[in-house]
Amino acid sequence: MLATETGMLGQVLLVSLALGAGLPVLFGLGLRATAWGTGGDAEEHAAGEAPRPHPLGRALGVLCFALTVAGVLLGITVVVASGLGYEVSLGGGPLLVEKA
Amino acid sequence: MRAAGAGSTVGAVDAATVILVLVVVVALAFDFTNGFHDTANAMATSIATHALPPKAAVTLSAVLNLVGAFLSVEVALTVTNAVVRIQEPDGAPSPDLVQDGGAGLLLIVLTGLVGAIVWNLLTWLLGLPSSSSHALFGGLVGATVAGLGWGAVHWTGDGGDPDGILGKVVIPAVASPVIAGVVAATGTWFVYRVTVGVAARSTERGFRWGQIGSASLVSLAHGTNDAQKTMGVITLALIASGHWTSTTAIPLWVKVCCALAIALGTYLGGWRIIRTLGKGLIDIAPPQGMAAETASAATILVSSHLGLPLSTTQVTTGSVLGAGVGRPGATVRWRVAGRMGVAWLITMPAAGLVGAATWFLAHALGGGVLGAAAVVLVLVVLSGAMYVRSRRDAVHAGNVNDEWQEPARERRPAAAGGVR
Repeated sequence: MLATETGMLGQVLLVSLALGAGLPVLFGLGLRATAWGTGGDAEEHAAGEAPRPHPLGRALGVLCFALTVAGVLLGITVVVASGLGYEVSLGGGPLLVEKA
Repeated sequence: MRAAGAGSTVGAVDAATVILVLVVVVALAFDFTNGFHDTANAMATSIATHALPPKAAVTLSAVLNLVGAFLSVEVALTVTNAVVRIQEPDGAPSPDLVQDGGAGLLLIVLTGLVGAIVWNLLTWLLGLPSSSSHALFGGLVGATVAGLGWGAVHWTGDGGDPDGILGKVVIPAVASPVIAGVVAATGTWFVYRVTVGVAARSTERGFRWGQIGSASLVSLAHGTNDAQKTMGVITLALIASGHWTSTTAIPLWVKVCCALAIALGTYLGGWRIIRTLGKGLIDIAPPQGMAAETASAATILVSSHLGLPLSTTQVTTGSVLGAGVGRPGATVRWRVAGRMGVAWLITMPAAGLVGAATWFLAHALGGGVLGAAAVVLVLVVLSGAMYVRSRRDAVHAGNVNDEWQEPARERRPAAAGGVR
């Protein structure tokens, strides 16, 4: 049983790390890109030389935020679906599978 | 009242019915303490960073707990099977425990719940987050040992899925804070790295929303997980006393009552615990709050999805500590963390002792209605005493975010007749 548990805990750690640390970092990157895209006072800068805005940064920011929201929606889907007796499967095929 | 029928059997059934009512009321009381004990898990960080005003935070959390409790249709009827042997694998009560109209089993459940509530209230009084599930397991184990002996305790699994006290309580308890801590520390460290050079003013709003979103996810997950346990316990009691037969469904009124009890408890807010978790461990900043709650939500959801549910309380505490470790230069108050660790260690034995003591009390009084009533009276008196004590240094929405200082009772010996 200990071996099974260690394996399961390792899995929990890896997946949680990907989602639980990945999403905040993605969100941070979104903030970063948006600030770069906005320019001016959104970024820290020396007095009198405000950075120029970069349209690409805004687009990247939107992309990061969209991915973060998608991650959170996935989380909510997992909660709601498992409550209603479905499992979320990400291995291709239908997204929601009725639990055995 | 039931119409009187044939002699002693009816007498036993009636006694069981009265005890059943007490079990249901006490179970709902446990569900209520479960709610207010765990508000902190979801909302402490958002309250500490002012992402949400205190009242708004507990209201949001309560609503999501309510929604979560209704979302789950899975039947958690086998909840006690993790630690004791009073049920069959399918959730039906063990046949030899229900021959007396269920009174024997009901008494174990009742005193187990009393042990859990007393421990939940005591840790709340001390402002310590501790797992409500462990308290429930501890109380049940204590009552079972008292009533049926050590042989009825389920120590380890049978080599397959994690089970028993070792697999469902001890290992997860050690692993939860470590896993959540690593996740939160990693998240925090990277978040600070990638937002270097961005003006604080423009990150504030973003992190605020990030915190609200992640905290909401934790609340929702809590509602789906925790309310079910009480539903399972009440349904077990109903089956044992012959008021319900299905082991695959839960009566609607049980679901509604449990959902309302946990939501009401959450709304009331365990402010003392919110304060410890939000202000006591680290001085939390918005990026840390967001990283901590996301780490908690991810760990809770992933672990229950993979079949090894981890305690929400221990996960959240680990996350908050991790968020402190992950921010270079931040202070972590390890003394406070150490006190929590001690509380976790003694949660099961302490709740178990109360469960066992109250079982012996009820047994000494004949194990019937008189015994059950005496146990409930003990619970009411202890709860009342702890509530009265809590008023002496009340923590509420208005002072939950005050500057943290080590509790006065710890400094008193050194400053006898001095500060205070």
